[in-house]
Parts: sequence; C-alpha cells; structure tokens
Amino acid sequence: MWVVGIIALPLLAIGVSVFFLGVSRKVTARIQRRYGPPLYQPVIDVVKLLAQEEHVSHGMVFDAGMVLALGGSLATVLFIPVGGLHPLSAGGDLLVILYLMLLPPLGLALAAGAAENPNASIGVSRKLILALGYEVPFLLALLAVMTQEGTTSLVAIAEAQQPSVLEWGLVRAPLSALAVALVLPAMLGLRPFDMATAPQEIASGTLVEFGGKYLVLAALQGALHTYIVIALFVDLFLGGGANVLTFLAKMGVVFFGGLLINAVYPRVRIGQALRFCWKWPTLLALLGLVVVMVMGR
Amino acid sequence: MEIAVLLSVALLGAMAVYVAGRFSARGRNALAVLVALAVMVGVALLYGRGVRMAYYRLPILDATLVLRSNPLAWFFAMAVAAIGFFSILFSLEYMKGHARLGFYYAAMLVVNGAMLGIVLSGDLISLYVFWEIMSWTTYLVISYRGGRAVAAGLKYMVMSIIGSCAMLLAIVSVYVHCGTLEIAALAEPMQSASTGFALFILLMFAIGFGIKNAVMPLHTWLPDAHSEAVSPFSAVLSGILVRMGMYGFVLIMYGVLGLGLLARFGSGVLSFGYLFAWVGALTIVIPTFTALLQDDSKRLLAWHGVGQGGYMILGIAMATPLGIAGGIFHTLNHCIYIALLFLVAGAVEYRTGGIRDLNQLGGLAKRMPVTFVGGLAGICGLIGVPLTNGFASKWLIYKALIADGHPFLAFAALVGTWGTILSVYKFQHNTFLGQLPERYKDVKEVPFVMQLPILLLTAAILVFGIFPGIPLGAIGAIQRSLGLEALRVGAFSVPPEVGELNTITILAAVAGGCLVPYILFRLCRRSRTVAQADTYGAGAYAPADRYQYSARFYDRAYAVIEPYVRDRVDAFYYWLVEKSEGVFEAARHLYGGNVNTYALYIMLFLALILAVGFGWGL
Repeated sequence: MWVVGIIALPLLAIGVSVFFLGVSRKVTARIQRRYGPPLYQPVIDVVKLLAQEEHVSHGMVFDAGMVLALGGSLATVLFIPVGGLHPLSAGGDLLVILYLMLLPPLGLALAAGAAENPNASIGVSRKLILALGYEVPFLLALLAVMTQEGTTSLVAIAEAQQPSVLEWGLVRAPLSALAVALVLPAMLGLRPFDMATAPQEIASGTLVEFGGKYLVLAALQGALHTYIVIALFVDLFLGGGANVLTFLAKMGVVFFGGLLINAVYPRVRIGQALRFCWKWPTLLALLGLVVVMVMGR
Repeated sequence: MEIAVLLSVALLGAMAVYVAGRFSARGRNALAVLVALAVMVGVALLYGRGVRMAYYRLPILDATLVLRSNPLAWFFAMAVAAIGFFSILFSLEYMKGHARLGFYYAAMLVVNGAMLGIVLSGDLISLYVFWEIMSWTTYLVISYRGGRAVAAGLKYMVMSIIGSCAMLLAIVSVYVHCGTLEIAALAEPMQSASTGFALFILLMFAIGFGIKNAVMPLHTWLPDAHSEAVSPFSAVLSGILVRMGMYGFVLIMYGVLGLGLLARFGSGVLSFGYLFAWVGALTIVIPTFTALLQDDSKRLLAWHGVGQGGYMILGIAMATPLGIAGGIFHTLNHCIYIALLFLVAGAVEYRTGGIRDLNQLGGLAKRMPVTFVGGLAGICGLIGVPLTNGFASKWLIYKALIADGHPFLAFAALVGTWGTILSVYKFQHNTFLGQLPERYKDVKEVPFVMQLPILLLTAAILVFGIFPGIPLGAIGAIQRSLGLEALRVGAFSVPPEVGELNTITILAAVAGGCLVPYILFRLCRRSRTVAQADTYGAGAYAPADRYQYSARFYDRAYAVIEPYVRDRVDAFYYWLVEKSEGVFEAARHLYGGNVNTYALYIMLFLALILAVGFGWGL
C-alpha cells in the first residue's frame, strides 16, 4: 500500500493536473463562445516542446532551479492525502506541507533570476507580494482548523470530516472556509489575480525566458501547483474523500468554480490585490479563528 | 582547572596577538588563528563533563568565585568558539590593508574570551565582570572603523550600561536575599522568596538580557551597530554575542527560578510566560517587516537578527519541553545561518569595493558561485525551508504554540516567516541574480580562506537540517540538567506522540521528486547556453549596462506596510535623550560654585529628610 501510494500519487497528480489544463482551455473557450482546442491539447504541447530541436539555457542556476521547481512540487504531492492514499503522512504534517510548498516557487525564482530579464524579476516580485497577501488569511484559517481539530496532521483533519457532511470543515468552520475560498483564485494565480504571469503586460513574468523542455517543466509545475492547492482545500474544508474518486470529483468542482471566475474577471493591480487580501478575507479568517477559540473553551 | 586554562588561553592569547602584531603581521595572523582554534578544541574537549572550580575567594563579600561547565554552558561555549574561529579565519583576507590590525584581532579574541567567561561563570560576580568586559570590548570593535560607526557604538554602549545597571541591581538583591552568589546554589533559597521579589529579580535580569538580546522595545541599538561594524564582527555580533541574552534568559528562568516559581507569576493571559511570549511575537513581526524595507544588505540582515530573536523568546516562554527545545535549538541555528549571511555580505563587500547598497549590485551568481551557494543556504535556513536547520527549530516552535493552544502567537510566528521570505529573497536576488552591472564584469570569487568558513557553515546548515537529532540530543541534556522534562527525539524524527516530522522522509521525497524532472531533462537534447543578456524583451530590449529591477523591489507592498513599521521606539529614545539633556542643563545651573548656596542645599535636604521622617513616624 505504502509503495503503491508513492508511485501512484505523483502519476495521479500529473494526470489530473494535465487533464485540468485541458479542461480549463476548453471551458474558457466555451464561455467566450469559441470552440476551443481538444482536451488532450496540453499533451500535444508537452510532446512538441520536449522534442524541440533546440533548448536555450542561461546556465547552471537556470537548469537547477527548474529541476528543483518541479521536484519540489512532486515531493509536496506525496505528503497530501488523497482519499485513502497518504504514503508519507507520518513523515510530515500540515506545517511541513506548508513549507515544502516554498520549494517550487524558490526554484522558479532562481531560474527566472538567472537571466537578466527585468520582466522575470517583476513577475517574481509580484508573485511574492501576492503570496504575502493571501498567506495572511490562509494561515489564519489553517490555524483555526488546526486548533479546532487539536492536531497539525492533515490526515487526521481529513479523517475527522469523514462521518457526514455536517462534519466538513465548510460547516464546522464556515468563516475560515469562506476566507480561503475568497483567496483561492490568488493562490491559484487565476484572474483577477494573475498579475505575476500577466502575458500581455510583462511577457508572462517569471516564465518569460523558458522555452522547450524548460517550458514543459514550468508548465507541469504550474499544473501541479493547481492540484496541490485544490487538494489542500478539499482536505481542509470539503471533507477529504472516502476514496480517490470522490476526492477527485470534489477537486473538479472547486477547479470549475475557479475557471468561471477566471474567465469573466479582468486583472487587478498588485496593490489592489494586496489590499483586498488583507481586508475581507483576513477579517473573515480572524473572526473564524476567534469563534473557534471561544467555542473551544 | 581546564576551564581556567581555557579562559587564560583565550584572554592571554589575545594580549599575545597584540604584542605579536608589533613585530610581524604574518606571525600575528597565525597566532590569532591558533588561539581561536585552540579555544575551539578546548571547549570541544569539555563535552559531557560537569566541571566546577573555585578560583578566587572575595575577601569582602564572603563569596567564592567559581567557574563551571554544564550542558547549557557547553552548548553556548561551543557556538561562541566556533563562530569566533570562523570569523577570525574570514578576517585574514577581509581585513587585509586595514589600519590597527593588532588591536582588531586582540579585541576580537577578547570578545570571544569574555563570552566564554560569561557562559562558564559559576557565580553572578564573575558573570557580571565578564559581561562588562564583553560590552566594552564590543564597543571598541564596533567603533573601530570610525565615522558613523562611533555613533552606532555609542548608542550600543549607552543601552548596554542601562542593562548592566539593572543587572547589578538584581545581583545585589539576590545576594542580600540568598547570602550566596553561586548560581547553582541560588535555586533553593529563591524558592522561599516572595512572588513580588522573584518577579522583580526576573524583570531586572530581563532588562539586562533583553537589551543584549535586542527584544522589542529594547532593540534600537542593534541595526546601527550590526551594519556599521566590520562584517566578520557583524557575524559574531549577530550570531552569538546578542544571544548571550538568550543564555541569560534560560539560566535565570529555568536554572535559578524554575518552573514552579515561574508558574506563580500570574495566571492565564496575565501570566509572565504569556506576556513574555507576546513580547516575542512583537519582536518577530515588526522587525521582520522593517527588514523588508531596507536597502542596505547588512542592515537588512541586522533587522532579521532582531526578528529571529522573537522566535527564541516564543519558544522558551512556552515552558513546555517542545518550546524550550525549539527556542534553544533556534538560537544555535540562527547563530549558524546569520553568521553565514553576514560573511556572504562581507564577501560581496570585499569584491565590489565595499558596496552594501542592494540597489547597486546584481548578477553576481556567475562570478561568485561559492558565495552565491552560501547565501542561498543562509536564506533558506533563515526562512526555514525544509532540510535546512531553521526549519527543524521553527517547526518545534510552531508545534509548541499550536499544541499549547496559542494560535495567535503561532500566527505571528508564521506571518513573520512570510516577511522573512520576501526580504531575504530581495537580498539574494538583488545581490546575485538579474543583470550583472558592467563594472563588476571582472569580479572574481573570494580567496579560499574566505570561502572556507562559508562552506563549513553551509554544511552545518544542511547537516543540522537533515539530522536535527544531533543538536537536539545536546539540548535534551540541557533540559535534564535544568531539571526539566527533555524532548524525546531520534536522529531525524520526533516520536509520533509529539508530531509528524521525519527529515529523512522529506529528504527522500525531495530527492526522488527532483530525480524525475532531472531524468526528463537529460532525455531531451542538450540545451545551448546563451549569454545572460540574450533575453526575450517582447520588442523592448533591456539596455546593456543598468537595467536591474531592484530599487523598491516590493513597491506596492511598501505602500501598504511602510506607515506601520516606522521605528517609533528609536524616535522616542532620541526624544528622551534630547529632553533629558535639557533637564541636565537646568540642573547644572544649581551648581553656581558658591559654597553658601551648597550649604543651603544641604540644610534644605536635611530638613526634607526630617520632615519625611516625622511624617512617617506619625
């Protein structure tokens, strides 16, 4: 079971996240009344980019940064329980996951900084400011959940929600769930919070220098990031999953909601995003934590 | 006996270095390295041995002066000796060509010797004497460069003296109450002390140690002193000297007063532990976000020196095995990575002609790869990225806070980490990444003696990050020697009842995770490496020399944060100084020089005393 999980989880994560990529293009196209590319378009893109004749690098830091970015994402995936699969949960709790999630952006930022493209630096700067914004409500919400369940183990938190819908984090800690839901587009880098990779404005920011296999690694990392954030949300607030399939179904619903928002909103400026994150979501999360503490006594 | 020899070597060695400097520069350098190395070996040999030695009997106070070693003392002594050795090694090249080098090396060694004296002192008089030696020599080294450094040194000195006065008051009170000054013998008589008296003792010591440890709002000396001192000394200053305050806190809180007495200081939200923890939380958040606004590389690091102190305070304030272990462990980890980062900043300074302004650097990663890796390891440790030492200790502290039911304190600690991420990434990016300015095209890596401390400290960060059990074993011994419950821990994991953390699992996951993209990477065609300037500009190409995105790197965040993190405390102190100068000036007029006036003052004073005395009697 243990070995199966270690092999199955990353494969599942890559499969699901690439499928999500395909879905996102299709759904966005349908909302915009276009036909859109086929669902397997991302696979075609990956194969095409990997087989490209020339890949351009900016040196050691550039290469190592990209390997670390995708490697960090794959490592994080192993610690997040999906249904009954949680092979490494005894080796790391929610705090470990939270910090493992720093590795991919660190790798990406190093790779982006290896070239002297100011657009990449602007992208990293925006990404970090945005993260500072959404982490405040996110951390408050996490602490509310951890305090409520009296544990820092994500597996225990997910299992505590198993009995019925009434035990879901969404029901037991509604303010925290709402706060995280509000910053979820920011965490996923969806519009209106896609300023870090704004294509028309700063030539895709951090991604500007990547082509060929580098772009594949970056795209896979981005897709896995989506998977990780949504899986965390499902484990924390939507009751985890009795088995892998229900878990993935819940993930699909959350992702679809994000896509709808992404398709219709315009991009805001980074300052506005920071102020937004520190206003309503933070207030809600703060209130949620106070409620949890008062109820706990 | 060994301790006396060790301290003599440390302090007399410093004198010998000064004398040797009069004859030969080469001999002086060799001797300085030798003394630092000998001290390090000597301390290492003390491991696991409880030694006690009475070296002098004070005729006036009927007190015996004692040197002793125990797990707590050894732990700090080892850190002092190691950081001292590394900074001396680094100085060899870094300080080349500076004036008065004999004085510099001697003073560095005296500071080290004094710190060893503090931790190895078995009684409060010796501790106080060594504390003063340390403070004064530190002042000399800080102001060594002259100019702005003198003002920074003076600020440090004034605050140090205030701390020393508070400490002296506490020592005298303790002596009057307990009749002894030997630290090991204090615990018993203190238990019978009234709560008010014990709290007074604790607070007086807390002022002394708090100023040294730069706890808010006693931190204002630190940013100036750290950035103005020469870099190898900044490493000592921020790495370990400041943490003498932590040694003091652990010693007084758990060595002298003990858990029983601490529990008597109030209860619930008004208990000493809880308020102290909030002081720690404030010390994390405000300085860390202040660091975000700094453009001077060493000043940025200095603010983190203040901020990380908050994590240590949070840990020991929790008074649980997890918290205390986390707090002490973080002290050691901080010592390693902040020393490394100051050495990295120093190496950059050395090669770029003293540039500390982060807006003027950039792209040095390719020119100084070893320094770059050192900086990367340092910032990862400071952030607490998994597999670096800072992660293990921060994890213990977060866990202690959450397990004890303090989510808001945990929130302060976690948000502080995000402030840290932003500011240290700026440090790394603006120095090593992005565009390399034209004038640094020919910059070379620093010489090997400067690389060596950087490499060793980098290795320490990884070793303690992957095997946190090694230092935590020594910390367990400290907890047992203080009569506390020790944190049980394996070489790389904590037991299941404590929590889920296994660094080997994490290492395997990250290594395995990186293997997949690496294989994918190698299966494709080799990539062509292009010049750094060969970039995609979407039709607007970056100009050749100066187009680094670094000035006000987080501009939009500054606009939101800046109004809240002004250093009002410092401004208040300056206001206080200005006003008290006025008062002193007025007081000066009382002394007119006329004997008759003085006689009048004396008469008036006596009359006042009599009046008060009669009033009291009635």
